[in-house]
Amino acid sequence: MRTFALAASCALLGAAAADARPVSYEGGWTVIGESDRESTSLLTHHTPHHEWSVGLKAEWMRDSDIVFTGVQATHLVKRWFAPDSQANLYAFAGAGIAEGINANPMDAEAAGLVGVMADWETRRWFVSYEARVSDFGSGVDAMQAARVGVAPYVGDFGDLHTWLMLEIDQRPERDEPVTVTPLIRFFKGSFLLELGYTPAVNEPYASFTYRF
Amino acid sequence: MIRIFLTVCALAVAGFGAAHAQPANPDGHGEDHGDNHAHGGETLQPTLHEDITTALAEGGSLVVAEVNGMVCDFCATAMTRTFGRRDEIGAVHVDLDTKTLQLVIREGLSMDDATITDLVTRSGYQLASIRRGTGA
Repeated sequence: MRTFALAASCALLGAAAADARPVSYEGGWTVIGESDRESTSLLTHHTPHHEWSVGLKAEWMRDSDIVFTGVQATHLVKRWFAPDSQANLYAFAGAGIAEGINANPMDAEAAGLVGVMADWETRRWFVSYEARVSDFGSGVDAMQAARVGVAPYVGDFGDLHTWLMLEIDQRPERDEPVTVTPLIRFFKGSFLLELGYTPAVNEPYASFTYRF
Repeated sequence: MIRIFLTVCALAVAGFGAAHAQPANPDGHGEDHGDNHAHGGETLQPTLHEDITTALAEGGSLVVAEVNGMVCDFCATAMTRTFGRRDEIGAVHVDLDTKTLQLVIREGLSMDDATITDLVTRSGYQLASIRRGTGA
């Protein structure tokens, strides 16, 4: 119960995001792959309306050897526009099946996740927050992450953009509940690549986003 | 591992930053793509992209739309893909410095303001203004 309360409060805290633009333009497709200190995931989504995306998600929790596969919907709750910036608030939810792999004998069972993301960015600065609660068959799990970034130079459309970022994440149930991950983002056209490292747990971080 | 990561970061920033540096330009374009452009009512005149001038030379008409919230390549990609698949559009280009969407409407075809506004919205952004023809 305490775990659930903590998880719920994390989800409701409301500020920022790790994914870059989880909702695209109408008719657009996006592939997002991410490997952080805990899991490796792939999300392919389609945007039928500029406030919604729906997609297929697979996530492998590497320590527990549990794999989630299911559908995920993301709603752009609000986008704030300014000439030099934009801010976004997203809510997302997913449902599917989780099952053990390798040495984990866990049978397939219903699983799901909910969360919020928010971000604010200019061409120079970036701030984001994400909170997620999931149940992949081994109990309710919660995480939250905040990120700040700066672009050392500002390029135009089609240039190679580089961002230096710092992410702090909290996973209350882990041996290392709070970790810091410095990362570098390369961004050009429809492709975004992030590489980082989490010293506290000696794990690399990598993600990519491709939009088409 | 940390040292390798920091070295990669430093090389990337130094290398790409240097590669991106542009010579000074008397009209100020290309010197600094920073956040200070077009603030406080100042309006930068967009430099027309080569694709735009080529399409204009073929007889199209120019539309320049100012768009709020365009801060990255994903924004620009959304706009170019959304407009690029329309038959009326001969060329499309996004200038992040001036926050403008440059369109060339093919000769003999038209696209009204309401359609442009709708397509910008469907791209996920907000139209601020539209200028047409020589005034664009």
